[in-house]
Amino acid sequence: MFLIFALITLLGALAMFRSRNLIVAGLCLVLCFLGVAGLFLLLANPVAAALQIIVYSGAIVVLVLFVIMLLNSHEEEAAAQPHRIQRWLGALAAAVLGAGACKAVLSSPGLVRIGQESPARVMDLQQVGTSLFQQHVVAFEAAGLLLLAAMVAAVALVKKEL
Amino acid sequence: MNSALLQGSLQGYILVALLLFVIGLATVLIRRSLLVQFMGIELMLNAANVALLAFARYRGGDVQGTVFYLFIIAVAACEAAVGLALVVALYRHRHTTDSDSADALRR
Repeated sequence: MFLIFALITLLGALAMFRSRNLIVAGLCLVLCFLGVAGLFLLLANPVAAALQIIVYSGAIVVLVLFVIMLLNSHEEEAAAQPHRIQRWLGALAAAVLGAGACKAVLSSPGLVRIGQESPARVMDLQQVGTSLFQQHVVAFEAAGLLLLAAMVAAVALVKKEL
Repeated sequence: MNSALLQGSLQGYILVALLLFVIGLATVLIRRSLLVQFMGIELMLNAANVALLAFARYRGGDVQGTVFYLFIIAVAACEAAVGLALVVALYRHRHTTDSDSADALRR
């Protein structure tokens, strides 16, 4: 199961990276987020999986697709200057970072030690709610304020005359 | 050890998170469309979430991990709204969503 969801996630991400059409890229992103939600289910965390599906593959991707259709930019525009060296340097930097980090993860004895014990305790909403409203009330209110501020900022940026 | 990786050990999850992060980074660095770059940023954020929740599960199902995941997606929703508003505002001014042609503060 882990292998299936990991493959869905990574192939969705790769397809998003490769696709020329922006709408197709957004749909591949949905596939990738659904794979991540499956990984959360395997991590005994159905709360996070539900949130992932609702917020990411629901709200955020729909927002991106709306903007793509609004701006009518379905294809990537042709480059004015190719900037070939910068592209290759970017690819090289990402590949080096990825290879180094993979090597570090695979050869780390600390990760093996942490990953030893595995009695999975299923996360339920009651625990999360109790912790959220007992220990993190201030942060919860701050998040609400931040969402309000972001909403006002988005309207102010896009509206032509206020 | 190798079969444990395929069955989903902690290392397997961290590896998936890493590869997801690298794909997102490559998307931001190589693709030119601002909207695709934005999707790459979302991908990197998701990679961090996978790592966080994997560590939370191997700490014996820590609740704090899920609570922080909640805050992270609240901030991600804000970032999505403001980021896309910036892209729309840029398109209004310059009629492009290409990040290469929007490299100066004024023109």
